[in-house]
Amino acid sequence: MLRLLARSRAGLFSLIVLAAIVVLAVIGPVVYPVDPAAQDLSSLRQFPSWQHPLGADDLGRDTLARLMSGLRVSLGVALVVEAFVVAFGGGLGLLAGYYGGWIDALVSRLADMLFAFPGLLLAILISSVFGAAASDWAGGMGRLLLVSLSLALVGWPLMARYTRGQTLSLKQRPFIETARALGASDWRILTRHIAPNLADLVIVATTLDVAGVIVSEATLGLLGLSAQPPQTSLGKMIVEAFGYITLNYTQVLFPSLMLAALVLALSFAGDALQERMERR
Amino acid sequence: MLKYLLRRALSLPFVLLSVTFLTFIVGYLAPGDPIQAMMGNRRDPAIYQQLRREYGLDRPWHEQYLNYVAGLLRGDLGRSYRFAGRPVADLIRQGVPVSAALGGAALAVSVVIGVPIGILAAARANRAFDRISMTVMLTVFAVPGFVIAGVLQTAQVILFQNGLPHLPTSGWGAPEHWVMPVVVLSAATLGYLARLTRSTMIQVLRQDYIRAAVAKGATRSQILLKHALRNALIPIVTVLGPSIAFIVVGSFVVESVFRVPGIGFVAVQAIGSRDYPVIQSVTLMLALVVVFMNLLTDLAYTALDPRVRI
Repeated sequence: MLRLLARSRAGLFSLIVLAAIVVLAVIGPVVYPVDPAAQDLSSLRQFPSWQHPLGADDLGRDTLARLMSGLRVSLGVALVVEAFVVAFGGGLGLLAGYYGGWIDALVSRLADMLFAFPGLLLAILISSVFGAAASDWAGGMGRLLLVSLSLALVGWPLMARYTRGQTLSLKQRPFIETARALGASDWRILTRHIAPNLADLVIVATTLDVAGVIVSEATLGLLGLSAQPPQTSLGKMIVEAFGYITLNYTQVLFPSLMLAALVLALSFAGDALQERMERR
Repeated sequence: MLKYLLRRALSLPFVLLSVTFLTFIVGYLAPGDPIQAMMGNRRDPAIYQQLRREYGLDRPWHEQYLNYVAGLLRGDLGRSYRFAGRPVADLIRQGVPVSAALGGAALAVSVVIGVPIGILAAARANRAFDRISMTVMLTVFAVPGFVIAGVLQTAQVILFQNGLPHLPTSGWGAPEHWVMPVVVLSAATLGYLARLTRSTMIQVLRQDYIRAAVAKGATRSQILLKHALRNALIPIVTVLGPSIAFIVVGSFVVESVFRVPGIGFVAVQAIGSRDYPVIQSVTLMLALVVVFMNLLTDLAYTALDPRVRI
Protein backbone atom coordinates (compact mmCIF):
# COMPACT_ATOMS: atom_id res chain seq x y z
CA MET A 1 0.00 0.00 0.00
CA LEU A 2 2.78 2.40 0.95
CA ARG A 3 4.68 1.40 -2.17
CA LEU A 4 1.61 2.15 -4.26
CA LEU A 5 1.42 5.58 -2.69
CA ALA A 6 5.11 6.28 -3.13
CA ARG A 7 4.79 5.75 -6.88
CA SER A 8 3.20 9.14 -7.51
CA ARG A 9 5.10 12.33 -6.85
CA ALA A 10 2.40 13.96 -4.73
CA GLY A 11 1.95 10.70 -2.83
CA LEU A 12 5.66 10.35 -2.05
CA PHE A 13 5.95 13.97 -0.97
CA SER A 14 2.96 13.77 1.35
CA LEU A 15 4.27 10.51 2.78
CA ILE A 16 7.56 12.21 3.69
CA VAL A 17 5.76 15.16 5.29
CA LEU A 18 3.53 12.81 7.27
CA ALA A 19 6.49 10.77 8.48
CA ALA A 20 8.28 13.96 9.59
CA ILE A 21 5.21 15.14 11.52
CA VAL A 22 4.75 11.78 13.24
CA VAL A 23 8.44 11.73 14.21
CA LEU A 24 8.15 15.28 15.57
CA ALA A 25 5.13 14.33 17.67
CA VAL A 26 6.45 11.01 18.95
CA ILE A 27 10.21 11.50 19.30
CA GLY A 28 10.19 15.31 19.54
CA PRO A 29 9.47 15.53 23.28
CA VAL A 30 12.38 13.12 23.99
CA VAL A 31 14.87 15.22 22.04
CA TYR A 32 13.40 18.53 23.22
CA PRO A 33 12.26 17.82 26.79
CA VAL A 34 10.63 21.17 27.61
CA ASP A 35 7.43 21.17 29.66
CA PRO A 36 4.66 22.56 27.40
CA ALA A 37 2.85 23.94 30.46
CA ALA A 38 5.85 25.63 32.12
CA GLN A 39 5.54 29.43 32.17
CA ASP A 40 8.59 31.58 31.55
CA LEU A 41 7.41 35.04 32.58
CA SER A 42 10.51 36.71 31.18
CA SER A 43 9.59 35.76 27.62
CA LEU A 44 5.88 36.52 27.22
CA ARG A 45 4.80 36.59 23.54
CA GLN A 46 8.41 36.22 22.46
CA PHE A 47 9.37 35.94 18.81
CA PRO A 48 11.51 32.88 17.87
CA SER A 49 14.83 32.93 19.73
CA TRP A 50 17.61 30.55 20.83
CA GLN A 51 15.83 30.02 24.11
CA HIS A 52 12.42 29.37 22.50
CA PRO A 53 12.95 28.18 18.90
CA LEU A 54 9.36 28.99 17.89
CA GLY A 55 8.80 31.75 20.44
CA ALA A 56 6.46 31.72 23.43
CA ASP A 57 2.75 32.45 23.96
CA ASP A 58 1.06 35.11 26.10
CA LEU A 59 1.67 33.04 29.26
CA GLY A 60 5.33 32.48 28.40
CA ARG A 61 4.85 28.82 27.45
CA ASP A 62 7.27 27.39 24.89
CA THR A 63 5.56 27.16 21.50
CA LEU A 64 7.64 24.30 20.09
CA ALA A 65 6.85 22.14 23.11
CA ARG A 66 3.17 23.09 22.92
CA LEU A 67 3.09 22.38 19.21
CA MET A 68 4.41 18.86 19.81
CA SER A 69 1.93 18.33 22.62
CA GLY A 70 -0.92 19.54 20.39
CA LEU A 71 0.22 17.26 17.57
CA ARG A 72 0.17 14.28 19.91
CA VAL A 73 -3.43 15.13 20.80
CA SER A 74 -4.37 15.51 17.11
CA LEU A 75 -2.76 12.25 16.06
CA GLY A 76 -3.92 10.35 19.13
CA VAL A 77 -7.53 11.43 18.69
CA ALA A 78 -7.39 10.63 14.97
CA LEU A 79 -6.02 7.15 15.72
CA VAL A 80 -8.71 6.35 18.29
CA VAL A 81 -11.48 7.72 16.06
CA GLU A 82 -10.38 5.71 13.04
CA ALA A 83 -9.96 2.56 15.13
CA PHE A 84 -13.58 2.92 16.27
CA VAL A 85 -14.83 3.83 12.82
CA VAL A 86 -13.12 0.86 11.16
CA ALA A 87 -14.01 -1.66 13.87
CA PHE A 88 -17.54 -0.46 14.59
CA GLY A 89 -18.65 1.11 11.30
CA GLY A 90 -16.77 -1.33 9.09
CA GLY A 91 -17.92 -4.29 11.18
CA LEU A 92 -21.57 -3.24 11.24
CA GLY A 93 -21.54 -2.60 7.50
CA LEU A 94 -20.07 -6.05 6.95
CA LEU A 95 -22.72 -7.74 9.09
CA ALA A 96 -25.53 -5.68 7.56
CA GLY A 97 -24.43 -6.47 4.03
CA TYR A 98 -23.88 -10.16 4.69
CA TYR A 99 -26.94 -11.06 6.77
CA GLY A 100 -29.42 -8.50 5.44
CA GLY A 101 -32.80 -8.73 7.17
CA TRP A 102 -33.37 -6.98 10.48
CA ILE A 103 -29.64 -6.36 11.12
CA ASP A 104 -29.41 -4.49 7.84
CA ALA A 105 -32.60 -2.56 8.56
CA LEU A 106 -31.39 -1.57 12.01
CA VAL A 107 -27.89 -0.52 10.93
CA SER A 108 -29.17 1.37 7.89
CA ARG A 109 -31.83 3.27 9.83
CA LEU A 110 -29.33 4.16 12.54
CA ALA A 111 -26.88 5.37 9.91
CA ASP A 112 -29.60 7.36 8.10
CA MET A 113 -30.51 9.02 11.37
CA LEU A 114 -26.94 10.16 11.97
CA PHE A 115 -26.49 11.19 8.34
CA ALA A 116 -29.39 13.60 8.73
CA PHE A 117 -27.42 15.65 11.27
CA PRO A 118 -24.41 17.64 10.07
CA GLY A 119 -21.64 15.63 11.74
CA LEU A 120 -19.52 18.29 13.36
CA LEU A 121 -22.57 20.04 14.84
CA LEU A 122 -23.54 16.86 16.67
CA ALA A 123 -19.97 16.39 17.87
CA ILE A 124 -19.95 19.99 19.16
CA LEU A 125 -23.25 19.44 20.97
CA ILE A 126 -22.12 16.16 22.56
CA SER A 127 -18.69 17.29 23.63
CA SER A 128 -20.01 20.55 25.10
CA VAL A 129 -22.83 18.94 27.05
CA PHE A 130 -20.81 16.01 28.43
CA GLY A 131 -17.40 17.73 28.55
CA ALA A 132 -17.38 18.66 32.22
CA ALA A 133 -18.62 15.20 33.23
CA ALA A 134 -15.89 13.51 31.18
CA SER A 135 -13.23 15.70 32.79
CA ASP A 136 -14.55 14.86 36.27
CA TRP A 137 -14.58 11.17 35.41
CA ALA A 138 -11.10 10.72 34.00
CA GLY A 139 -9.39 14.12 33.74
CA GLY A 140 -7.70 15.14 30.52
CA MET A 141 -7.87 11.63 29.10
CA GLY A 142 -11.62 11.47 29.71
CA ARG A 143 -12.06 14.68 27.76
CA LEU A 144 -10.04 13.40 24.82
CA LEU A 145 -11.92 10.09 24.90
CA LEU A 146 -15.22 11.99 24.77
CA VAL A 147 -14.00 14.02 21.80
CA SER A 148 -12.88 10.83 20.05
CA LEU A 149 -16.15 9.04 20.76
CA SER A 150 -18.27 11.96 19.56
CA LEU A 151 -16.27 12.14 16.32
CA ALA A 152 -16.45 8.35 15.92
CA LEU A 153 -20.20 8.48 16.46
CA VAL A 154 -20.66 10.84 13.53
CA GLY A 155 -17.99 9.09 11.44
CA TRP A 156 -18.99 5.41 11.48
CA PRO A 157 -22.11 5.59 9.26
CA LEU A 158 -20.11 6.48 6.15
CA MET A 159 -17.70 3.58 6.69
CA ALA A 160 -20.63 1.23 7.33
CA ARG A 161 -22.25 2.36 4.09
CA TYR A 162 -19.03 1.61 2.16
CA THR A 163 -18.41 -1.85 3.60
CA ARG A 164 -22.09 -2.77 3.38
CA GLY A 165 -22.19 -1.96 -0.32
CA GLN A 166 -18.98 -3.84 -1.05
CA THR A 167 -20.12 -6.85 1.00
CA LEU A 168 -23.43 -6.95 -0.86
CA SER A 169 -21.61 -7.28 -4.17
CA LEU A 170 -18.92 -9.66 -2.86
CA LYS A 171 -21.40 -12.10 -1.43
CA GLN A 172 -22.86 -12.74 -4.91
CA ARG A 173 -19.49 -13.80 -6.28
CA PRO A 174 -18.77 -17.46 -7.11
CA PHE A 175 -15.86 -17.83 -4.69
CA ILE A 176 -18.16 -17.21 -1.74
CA GLU A 177 -20.59 -19.78 -3.05
CA THR A 178 -17.71 -22.22 -3.45
CA ALA A 179 -16.58 -21.60 0.11
CA ARG A 180 -20.09 -22.23 1.36
CA ALA A 181 -20.40 -25.39 -0.72
CA LEU A 182 -17.18 -26.62 0.88
CA GLY A 183 -18.87 -26.23 4.26
CA ALA A 184 -17.28 -22.99 5.49
CA SER A 185 -19.14 -21.40 8.40
CA ASP A 186 -20.54 -17.86 8.21
CA TRP A 187 -17.80 -16.69 10.56
CA ARG A 188 -15.11 -18.19 8.36
CA ILE A 189 -16.59 -16.69 5.20
CA LEU A 190 -16.83 -13.27 6.85
CA THR A 191 -13.34 -13.20 8.31
CA ARG A 192 -11.36 -15.16 5.72
CA HIS A 193 -13.11 -14.43 2.47
CA ILE A 194 -14.98 -11.13 2.66
CA ALA A 195 -13.03 -9.02 5.16
CA PRO A 196 -9.69 -9.28 3.29
CA ASN A 197 -11.43 -8.06 0.16
CA LEU A 198 -12.66 -4.98 2.00
CA ALA A 199 -9.16 -3.96 3.10
CA ASP A 200 -8.34 -1.72 0.12
CA LEU A 201 -11.62 0.13 0.34
CA VAL A 202 -11.28 0.61 4.10
CA ILE A 203 -7.71 1.91 3.81
CA VAL A 204 -8.60 4.50 1.15
CA ALA A 205 -11.73 5.58 3.01
CA THR A 206 -9.76 5.92 6.25
CA THR A 207 -7.00 7.98 4.65
CA LEU A 208 -9.56 10.33 3.14
CA ASP A 209 -11.46 10.55 6.42
CA VAL A 210 -8.52 11.17 8.72
CA ALA A 211 -7.85 14.71 7.49
CA GLY A 212 -11.45 15.58 8.31
CA VAL A 213 -11.11 14.11 11.79
CA ILE A 214 -8.01 16.18 12.48
CA VAL A 215 -9.77 19.34 11.34
CA SER A 216 -12.78 18.45 13.47
CA GLU A 217 -10.62 17.92 16.55
CA ALA A 218 -8.91 21.25 15.93
CA THR A 219 -12.31 22.93 15.52
CA LEU A 220 -13.51 21.44 18.80
CA GLY A 221 -10.24 22.59 20.36
CA LEU A 222 -10.80 26.09 19.00
CA LEU A 223 -14.22 26.14 20.67
CA GLY A 224 -12.53 25.05 23.91
CA LEU A 225 -14.08 21.58 23.79
CA SER A 226 -11.04 19.39 23.17
CA ALA A 227 -7.87 19.07 25.27
CA GLN A 228 -7.84 21.10 28.51
CA PRO A 229 -4.74 22.59 30.16
CA PRO A 230 -1.98 21.48 30.67
CA GLN A 231 -2.58 19.65 27.38
CA THR A 232 -3.38 21.68 24.33
CA SER A 233 -4.89 21.34 20.90
CA LEU A 234 -3.66 22.99 17.70
CA GLY A 235 -7.04 24.70 17.31
CA LYS A 236 -6.85 26.12 20.79
CA MET A 237 -3.31 27.43 20.24
CA ILE A 238 -4.48 29.25 17.13
CA VAL A 239 -7.52 30.87 18.72
CA GLU A 240 -5.58 31.90 21.83
CA ALA A 241 -2.91 33.52 19.71
CA PHE A 242 -5.56 35.49 17.76
CA GLY A 243 -5.98 37.55 20.93
CA TYR A 244 -2.54 39.13 20.62
CA ILE A 245 -1.91 38.81 16.89
CA THR A 246 -1.01 42.49 16.53
CA LEU A 247 1.79 42.02 19.09
CA ASN A 248 3.19 38.74 17.77
CA TYR A 249 1.78 37.15 14.64
CA THR A 250 4.20 34.19 14.66
CA GLN A 251 2.16 32.52 17.40
CA VAL A 252 -0.87 32.31 15.09
CA LEU A 253 1.22 31.38 12.11
CA PHE A 254 3.20 28.38 13.46
CA PRO A 255 0.28 26.22 14.64
CA SER A 256 -1.71 27.25 11.54
CA LEU A 257 1.07 26.13 9.22
CA MET A 258 1.57 22.89 11.15
CA LEU A 259 -2.12 22.05 10.93
CA ALA A 260 -2.18 22.99 7.24
CA ALA A 261 0.83 20.76 6.51
CA LEU A 262 -0.72 17.81 8.34
CA VAL A 263 -4.14 18.14 6.71
CA LEU A 264 -2.77 18.78 3.22
CA ALA A 265 -0.36 15.83 3.39
CA LEU A 266 -3.26 13.58 4.39
CA SER A 267 -5.56 14.97 1.68
CA PHE A 268 -2.98 14.62 -1.06
CA ALA A 269 -2.05 11.12 0.14
CA GLY A 270 -5.73 10.12 0.13
CA ASP A 271 -6.24 11.59 -3.33
CA ALA A 272 -3.14 9.91 -4.75
CA LEU A 273 -4.05 6.59 -3.17
CA GLN A 274 -7.57 6.69 -4.54
CA GLU A 275 -6.34 7.53 -8.00
CA ARG A 276 -3.82 4.66 -7.96
CA MET A 277 -6.43 2.22 -6.70
CA GLU A 278 -8.88 3.19 -9.42
CA ARG A 279 -6.24 2.76 -12.08
CA ARG A 280 -5.32 -0.72 -10.87
CA MET B 1 -42.32 13.06 -10.79
CA LEU B 2 -45.28 13.27 -8.44
CA LYS B 3 -44.31 9.92 -6.95
CA TYR B 4 -40.77 11.14 -6.35
CA LEU B 5 -41.95 14.35 -4.71
CA LEU B 6 -44.28 12.31 -2.54
CA ARG B 7 -41.49 9.95 -1.50
CA ARG B 8 -39.17 12.85 -0.80
CA ALA B 9 -41.87 14.55 1.25
CA LEU B 10 -42.42 11.33 3.20
CA SER B 11 -38.73 11.05 4.06
CA LEU B 12 -38.78 14.55 5.54
CA PRO B 13 -40.62 13.58 8.74
CA PHE B 14 -38.06 10.81 9.36
CA VAL B 15 -35.20 13.26 8.96
CA LEU B 16 -36.86 15.87 11.16
CA LEU B 17 -37.60 13.20 13.74
CA SER B 18 -33.95 12.06 13.72
CA VAL B 19 -32.59 15.56 14.09
CA THR B 20 -34.94 16.61 16.88
CA PHE B 21 -34.60 13.25 18.64
CA LEU B 22 -30.79 13.43 18.63
CA THR B 23 -30.77 16.96 20.06
CA PHE B 24 -33.44 16.00 22.60
CA ILE B 25 -31.65 12.88 23.80
CA VAL B 26 -28.35 14.74 24.30
CA GLY B 27 -30.16 17.34 26.39
CA TYR B 28 -32.09 14.64 28.25
CA LEU B 29 -28.94 12.73 29.15
CA ALA B 30 -27.04 15.92 30.00
CA PRO B 31 -25.40 15.76 33.41
CA GLY B 32 -26.55 18.25 36.05
CA ASP B 33 -30.02 19.23 37.12
CA PRO B 34 -31.50 22.16 35.18
CA ILE B 35 -34.01 22.97 37.95
CA GLN B 36 -31.24 23.09 40.54
CA ALA B 37 -29.28 25.36 38.21
CA MET B 38 -32.30 27.62 37.83
CA MET B 39 -32.90 27.82 41.60
CA GLY B 40 -29.30 28.66 42.37
CA ASN B 41 -28.68 28.64 46.10
CA ARG B 42 -32.29 28.44 47.18
CA ARG B 43 -33.21 24.94 48.35
CA ASP B 44 -36.93 24.52 48.86
CA PRO B 45 -38.12 20.98 48.05
CA ALA B 46 -41.69 22.13 47.49
CA ILE B 47 -40.72 24.75 44.93
CA TYR B 48 -38.28 22.29 43.39
CA GLN B 49 -41.06 19.73 42.86
CA GLN B 50 -43.38 22.40 41.53
CA LEU B 51 -40.82 23.64 38.99
CA ARG B 52 -40.09 20.08 37.93
CA ARG B 53 -43.79 19.56 37.27
CA GLU B 54 -44.11 22.91 35.51
CA TYR B 55 -41.28 22.11 33.13
CA GLY B 56 -42.57 18.57 32.66
CA LEU B 57 -39.34 17.02 33.88
CA ASP B 58 -41.20 14.51 36.08
CA ARG B 59 -42.67 12.84 32.99
CA PRO B 60 -41.25 9.75 31.25
CA TRP B 61 -38.77 10.51 28.46
CA HIS B 62 -41.10 9.90 25.51
CA GLU B 63 -43.62 12.38 26.90
CA GLN B 64 -40.81 14.88 27.43
CA TYR B 65 -39.77 14.38 23.83
CA LEU B 66 -43.31 15.05 22.59
CA ASN B 67 -43.46 18.17 24.73
CA TYR B 68 -40.12 19.26 23.30
CA VAL B 69 -41.35 18.85 19.73
CA ALA B 70 -44.65 20.55 20.55
CA GLY B 71 -42.64 23.44 22.02
CA LEU B 72 -40.51 23.65 18.88
CA LEU B 73 -43.63 23.84 16.72
CA ARG B 74 -44.77 26.82 18.76
CA GLY B 75 -41.34 28.42 18.36
CA ASP B 76 -40.48 27.75 22.00
CA LEU B 77 -36.81 26.77 22.18
CA GLY B 78 -36.63 26.61 25.97
CA ARG B 79 -35.02 29.05 28.35
CA SER B 80 -31.42 30.09 28.78
CA TYR B 81 -29.67 29.07 32.03
CA ARG B 82 -27.28 31.96 31.92
CA PHE B 83 -29.59 34.89 31.23
CA ALA B 84 -32.06 34.26 34.06
CA GLY B 85 -34.56 32.26 32.08
CA ARG B 86 -34.63 34.46 28.99
CA PRO B 87 -36.22 32.58 26.09
CA VAL B 88 -33.53 31.02 23.89
CA ALA B 89 -35.46 32.12 20.81
CA ASP B 90 -34.88 35.77 21.80
CA LEU B 91 -31.14 35.25 22.15
CA ILE B 92 -30.86 33.55 18.81
CA ARG B 93 -33.19 35.86 16.91
CA GLN B 94 -30.75 38.80 17.03
CA GLY B 95 -28.04 36.71 15.42
CA VAL B 96 -30.07 35.22 12.59
CA PRO B 97 -29.98 38.14 10.12
CA VAL B 98 -26.22 38.58 10.56
CA SER B 99 -25.46 34.88 10.10
CA ALA B 100 -27.84 34.55 7.16
CA ALA B 101 -26.35 37.56 5.37
CA LEU B 102 -22.81 36.35 5.99
CA GLY B 103 -23.61 32.79 4.88
CA GLY B 104 -25.47 34.02 1.81
CA ALA B 105 -22.59 36.27 0.80
CA ALA B 106 -20.12 33.40 1.26
CA LEU B 107 -22.23 31.05 -0.85
CA ALA B 108 -22.60 33.66 -3.59
CA VAL B 109 -18.85 34.34 -3.63
CA SER B 110 -17.98 30.65 -3.83
CA VAL B 111 -20.36 30.05 -6.74
CA VAL B 112 -19.39 33.19 -8.65
CA ILE B 113 -15.66 32.45 -8.37
CA GLY B 114 -15.57 28.66 -8.02
CA VAL B 115 -17.63 27.72 -11.06
CA PRO B 116 -15.68 29.87 -13.58
CA ILE B 117 -12.37 28.55 -12.23
CA GLY B 118 -13.66 25.02 -12.71
CA ILE B 119 -14.75 25.80 -16.28
CA LEU B 120 -11.40 27.35 -17.19
CA ALA B 121 -9.52 24.44 -15.63
CA ALA B 122 -11.61 21.93 -17.58
CA ALA B 123 -11.05 23.86 -20.81
CA ARG B 124 -7.30 23.64 -20.21
CA ALA B 125 -7.30 20.15 -18.68
CA ASN B 126 -3.88 18.87 -17.60
CA ARG B 127 -2.12 22.07 -18.56
CA ALA B 128 -0.43 24.51 -16.21
CA PHE B 129 -3.52 26.57 -15.31
CA ASP B 130 -5.48 23.42 -14.53
CA ARG B 131 -2.81 21.86 -12.34
CA ILE B 132 -1.99 25.02 -10.40
CA SER B 133 -5.57 26.14 -9.85
CA MET B 134 -6.69 22.65 -8.82
CA THR B 135 -3.86 22.32 -6.30
CA VAL B 136 -4.84 25.70 -4.84
CA MET B 137 -8.49 24.64 -4.77
CA LEU B 138 -7.69 21.38 -2.99
CA THR B 139 -5.68 23.41 -0.49
CA VAL B 140 -8.45 25.90 0.31
CA PHE B 141 -10.90 23.01 0.52
CA ALA B 142 -8.81 20.85 2.84
CA VAL B 143 -7.26 23.46 5.11
CA PRO B 144 -9.70 24.52 7.82
CA GLY B 145 -11.10 28.05 7.72
CA PHE B 146 -9.39 29.19 10.88
CA VAL B 147 -5.97 28.29 9.44
CA ILE B 148 -6.74 30.40 6.36
CA ALA B 149 -7.93 33.09 8.78
CA GLY B 150 -4.65 32.81 10.70
CA VAL B 151 -2.54 33.21 7.57
CA LEU B 152 -4.64 36.11 6.26
CA GLN B 153 -4.64 37.86 9.64
CA THR B 154 -0.87 37.54 9.81
CA ALA B 155 -0.65 39.17 6.40
CA GLN B 156 -2.89 42.03 7.59
CA VAL B 157 -0.73 42.61 10.66
CA ILE B 158 2.43 42.70 8.55
CA LEU B 159 0.77 45.13 6.13
CA PHE B 160 -0.33 47.26 9.06
CA GLN B 161 3.11 47.31 10.63
CA ASN B 162 4.61 48.50 7.38
CA GLY B 163 2.06 51.27 7.02
CA LEU B 164 0.38 49.66 4.02
CA PRO B 165 -3.38 49.50 3.44
CA HIS B 166 -4.91 46.58 5.35
CA LEU B 167 -8.21 45.13 6.53
CA PRO B 168 -9.44 45.14 10.13
CA THR B 169 -8.64 41.88 11.98
CA SER B 170 -11.91 41.82 13.90
CA GLY B 171 -15.08 43.77 14.60
CA TRP B 172 -18.42 44.27 12.94
CA GLY B 173 -20.33 47.17 11.42
CA ALA B 174 -18.40 48.76 8.57
CA PRO B 175 -18.39 47.18 5.07
CA GLU B 176 -14.68 46.32 5.30
CA HIS B 177 -15.47 44.05 8.23
CA TRP B 178 -17.22 41.72 5.80
CA VAL B 179 -14.24 40.95 3.61
CA MET B 180 -12.23 38.57 5.79
CA PRO B 181 -15.15 36.56 7.23
CA VAL B 182 -16.67 36.11 3.77
CA VAL B 183 -13.34 35.07 2.26
CA VAL B 184 -12.68 32.55 5.02
CA LEU B 185 -16.22 31.22 5.10
CA SER B 186 -16.40 30.75 1.33
CA ALA B 187 -12.97 29.08 1.02
CA ALA B 188 -14.01 25.46 1.56
CA THR B 189 -17.11 25.67 -0.64
CA LEU B 190 -15.16 27.54 -3.29
CA GLY B 191 -12.54 24.79 -3.49
CA TYR B 192 -15.18 22.08 -3.51
CA LEU B 193 -17.28 23.73 -6.24
CA ALA B 194 -14.28 24.49 -8.45
CA ARG B 195 -13.08 20.88 -8.31
CA LEU B 196 -16.54 19.49 -8.90
CA THR B 197 -17.18 21.87 -11.83
CA ARG B 198 -13.92 20.82 -13.42
CA SER B 199 -14.59 17.10 -13.17
CA THR B 200 -18.18 17.29 -14.42
CA MET B 201 -17.21 19.66 -17.26
CA ILE B 202 -14.50 17.23 -18.35
CA GLN B 203 -17.02 14.39 -18.40
CA VAL B 204 -19.52 16.42 -20.37
CA LEU B 205 -16.89 17.64 -22.85
CA ARG B 206 -16.14 14.02 -23.77
CA GLN B 207 -19.67 13.35 -24.97
CA ASP B 208 -20.76 12.93 -28.55
CA TYR B 209 -23.01 15.96 -28.73
CA ILE B 210 -20.02 18.17 -27.96
CA ARG B 211 -18.12 16.58 -30.84
CA ALA B 212 -21.14 17.30 -33.01
CA ALA B 213 -21.07 20.94 -31.91
CA VAL B 214 -17.36 21.16 -32.76
CA ALA B 215 -18.05 19.60 -36.16
CA LYS B 216 -20.79 22.07 -36.99
CA GLY B 217 -18.26 24.84 -36.30
CA ALA B 218 -19.41 26.28 -32.98
CA THR B 219 -16.84 28.51 -31.33
CA ARG B 220 -14.97 27.39 -28.26
CA SER B 221 -16.75 29.72 -25.87
CA GLN B 222 -20.12 28.73 -27.35
CA ILE B 223 -19.34 25.08 -26.73
CA LEU B 224 -18.13 25.68 -23.20
CA LEU B 225 -20.80 28.06 -22.01
CA LYS B 226 -23.82 27.07 -24.08
CA HIS B 227 -23.50 23.36 -24.67
CA ALA B 228 -21.36 21.95 -21.91
CA LEU B 229 -22.09 24.19 -18.93
CA ARG B 230 -25.83 23.61 -19.03
CA ASN B 231 -25.41 19.92 -18.43
CA ALA B 232 -22.51 20.34 -16.05
CA LEU B 233 -24.62 22.66 -13.89
CA ILE B 234 -26.93 19.85 -12.80
CA PRO B 235 -24.50 18.05 -10.47
CA ILE B 236 -23.22 21.45 -9.30
CA VAL B 237 -26.69 22.49 -8.20
CA THR B 238 -27.15 19.24 -6.31
CA VAL B 239 -24.14 19.89 -4.09
CA LEU B 240 -25.28 23.39 -3.15
CA GLY B 241 -27.36 21.86 -0.35
CA PRO B 242 -24.47 19.95 1.22
CA SER B 243 -22.29 23.05 0.68
CA ILE B 244 -24.59 24.92 3.01
CA ALA B 245 -23.50 22.44 5.67
CA PHE B 246 -19.87 23.56 5.27
CA ILE B 247 -20.88 27.19 5.58
CA VAL B 248 -23.17 26.57 8.52
CA VAL B 249 -20.52 24.70 10.50
CA GLY B 250 -17.90 27.18 9.38
CA SER B 251 -19.96 30.06 10.77
CA PHE B 252 -19.26 28.82 14.31
CA VAL B 253 -15.56 29.21 13.78
CA VAL B 254 -15.56 32.32 11.61
CA GLU B 255 -17.96 34.22 13.85
CA SER B 256 -15.93 33.44 16.94
CA VAL B 257 -12.58 34.24 15.33
CA PHE B 258 -13.73 37.54 13.81
CA ARG B 259 -16.20 38.40 16.58
CA VAL B 260 -19.17 38.63 14.25
CA PRO B 261 -22.38 38.83 16.32
CA GLY B 262 -24.27 35.99 14.59
CA ILE B 263 -25.81 32.83 16.01
CA GLY B 264 -22.50 30.96 15.83
CA PHE B 265 -21.04 33.57 18.18
CA VAL B 266 -24.02 33.20 20.53
CA ALA B 267 -23.40 29.44 20.56
CA VAL B 268 -19.69 29.81 21.24
CA GLN B 269 -20.42 32.06 24.22
CA ALA B 270 -23.02 29.56 25.41
CA ILE B 271 -20.41 26.78 25.20
CA GLY B 272 -18.12 28.84 27.40
CA SER B 273 -20.79 29.28 30.07
CA ARG B 274 -22.33 25.79 29.71
CA ASP B 275 -25.67 27.24 28.69
CA TYR B 276 -26.93 23.91 27.27
CA PRO B 277 -30.38 24.99 26.04
CA VAL B 278 -28.77 27.64 23.82
CA ILE B 279 -26.19 25.22 22.38
CA GLN B 280 -28.91 22.65 21.84
CA SER B 281 -31.18 25.08 20.01
CA VAL B 282 -28.46 26.54 17.82
CA THR B 283 -27.25 23.12 16.66
CA LEU B 284 -30.85 22.06 16.05
CA MET B 285 -31.63 25.19 14.05
CA LEU B 286 -28.51 24.90 11.94
CA ALA B 287 -29.20 21.21 11.32
CA LEU B 288 -32.70 22.11 10.18
CA VAL B 289 -31.30 24.73 7.80
CA VAL B 290 -29.11 22.04 6.26
CA VAL B 291 -32.01 19.59 6.02
CA PHE B 292 -34.25 22.10 4.23
CA MET B 293 -31.51 23.24 1.88
CA ASN B 294 -30.93 19.60 0.94
CA LEU B 295 -34.62 19.22 0.20
CA LEU B 296 -34.65 22.40 -1.89
CA THR B 297 -31.68 21.33 -3.98
CA ASP B 298 -33.24 17.92 -4.57
CA LEU B 299 -36.35 19.63 -5.87
CA ALA B 300 -34.28 22.04 -7.97
CA TYR B 301 -32.51 19.03 -9.44
CA THR B 302 -35.70 17.50 -10.72
CA ALA B 303 -36.87 20.83 -12.06
CA LEU B 304 -33.56 21.55 -13.83
CA ASP B 305 -32.95 18.28 -15.62
CA PRO B 306 -35.67 17.44 -18.13
CA ARG B 307 -34.41 13.84 -18.21
CA VAL B 308 -35.16 13.28 -14.53
CA ARG B 309 -38.62 11.77 -14.48
CA ILE B 310 -38.58 9.78 -11.33
